[in-house]
Amino acid sequence: MTDVWTPPYPEPGSANDAAFIGIGEIPSGVYRERGFMAQIVEASARAIQDARLAHTDIDQIVLIPCLHGIPDQADLIFSRVAEELGLHGRVKSSVMVHSGGSTSDNATRMAAGLIASGQARNVLVVYSERWGSADLQAMIDMLSVNGIPKEWEAPTGLQFNAIGGLITQRYMHRSGSSAAEMAAICVALRDWANLNPNAMYYEKKLTVEKIVNSKMISDPIHAFECPFLADGAGAFVMTSATEAARKHDAWVRIGGSGGCVSHYSAGQDADLGVLGWVKAAEEAYQAASWGPEDADLGEVYDSYAAVLAIALEGLAISPEGEAAREFHKGRFSPGGQFPLNTNGGLLSAGHTGVGGGTALLIEGVRQLLHRAGPDRQVPNAQRCIVGGTGGSYMDAQIMMLERVTR
Amino acid sequence: MSVTNVLRDGGYIQNAEELTGPFGAALAEGKLIVQRCLDCSALIMYPKYRCPTCFSGNLGWHQVSGAGTLATFTILRYGPPSSFDVEAPYCIGIVKLDEGPQLMCRMHPGSDGTWDHYVCEQRVNFVPADAAEVAERPAAWFSAALG
Ligand SMILES: [Zn+2]
Repeated sequence: MTDVWTPPYPEPGSANDAAFIGIGEIPSGVYRERGFMAQIVEASARAIQDARLAHTDIDQIVLIPCLHGIPDQADLIFSRVAEELGLHGRVKSSVMVHSGGSTSDNATRMAAGLIASGQARNVLVVYSERWGSADLQAMIDMLSVNGIPKEWEAPTGLQFNAIGGLITQRYMHRSGSSAAEMAAICVALRDWANLNPNAMYYEKKLTVEKIVNSKMISDPIHAFECPFLADGAGAFVMTSATEAARKHDAWVRIGGSGGCVSHYSAGQDADLGVLGWVKAAEEAYQAASWGPEDADLGEVYDSYAAVLAIALEGLAISPEGEAAREFHKGRFSPGGQFPLNTNGGLLSAGHTGVGGGTALLIEGVRQLLHRAGPDRQVPNAQRCIVGGTGGSYMDAQIMMLERVTR
Repeated sequence: MSVTNVLRDGGYIQNAEELTGPFGAALAEGKLIVQRCLDCSALIMYPKYRCPTCFSGNLGWHQVSGAGTLATFTILRYGPPSSFDVEAPYCIGIVKLDEGPQLMCRMHPGSDGTWDHYVCEQRVNFVPADAAEVAERPAAWFSAALG
């Protein structure tokens, strides 16, 4: 029996409680003319402006990695962003945090920790990805190396659509979900994307018929159920509640978080139809003292439909085995009872690599700041559950976000 | 053994080749083995430098029956890794061995040349691929159990 540890989270209203005060984003999709660093600077500038700060107010940069190439990633690691933003000689540190698709949650935890402990005053977190413009085979090859053990799983010919297929097969077996019910997940996300001008598929409709009639890529996943690789960038600014209150009437705090690293190898997860969500959710809900019944919306990692369905069930947003059927009935669509992945998610806003989860987090903050615009703003949104997962769905990370008013 | 091969600080598994080599060597002989902790008897896949249960470094190998259940599977039809010198489609599965450990593996097609007969939770058996295949790609292969 291990000791029960109750972490001393900052109380709401405490001076050093971490606060999201600004977000910035540029559209996702295929934008060959847009450069990696240009995307970073533009997204950062928008977030800093949204936070009502000057660029020189930023004293800490936290970078979310790109996966399209090592040289650009090296530029992130070695402080090019500080110099590009005119912050060299000003920021205390510029550092990359990386846990794949769950990086957004871990970067948030780190930024919040720096603020709560007085190590930083205004933290800029930014991502930029060029997956849409990268060579497709090179990305497939990268996605058959990263997160897949070379000694044990590479010899089977595994790559990420195959991992998606393994998870989906298991989920459909466990839940008894039909192909049409699985396809309804992608359609709901597309309906949200059709309301988001920054989404890759803002202008394209999708139907269940179109999905189930598209070719099989990695059984039972059809072509229109695979994530579409995209270019994109986004940023957010965090500060303390004290600083937030100086310039803002409302901000977003972290009510609590939970996490569970369930495996490294897809082949070694105890049940690919379950993953690490149950344990992470228990921790997050206890920390926040609220749960799915109190949430106004969710923003949960969705690189494949089954990955999202499994997360929703682990988070107890859906009853066990019912997530895909609930999608099919419209519960998570625009106008449904529980708004979910309101930017269109990775599957329809565009899979910007590690940035895809960050885009969901940014959308959650945007909704709670009431800045999502008339088409998709969830009325009076107060609480949002954000979920992320990285690698071969190696972990489940949860952020319980709350709107705070002065 | 030459003197230069004796490490001053030894007595533990030194590298991935030492850790994984026996598995591939057994496959080449048509056998399926998993790692076994010599202290707590835990069976371990994938092999580790220390036992995940008791953290012992006293580790050996254990030949398994090859019988198990198919947790899940997929047929990759498009976009295999370019380093993977096999034409799609091919079938990948996760098998949970009766002895406990599970592993990512390849699935043999049925007599009709397809994988249509597989379903989750069905019984499967280890049926080694030919020596050339195993030498090229050291993966365990399984087939549907008869009857
Ligand atoms: Zn042991």
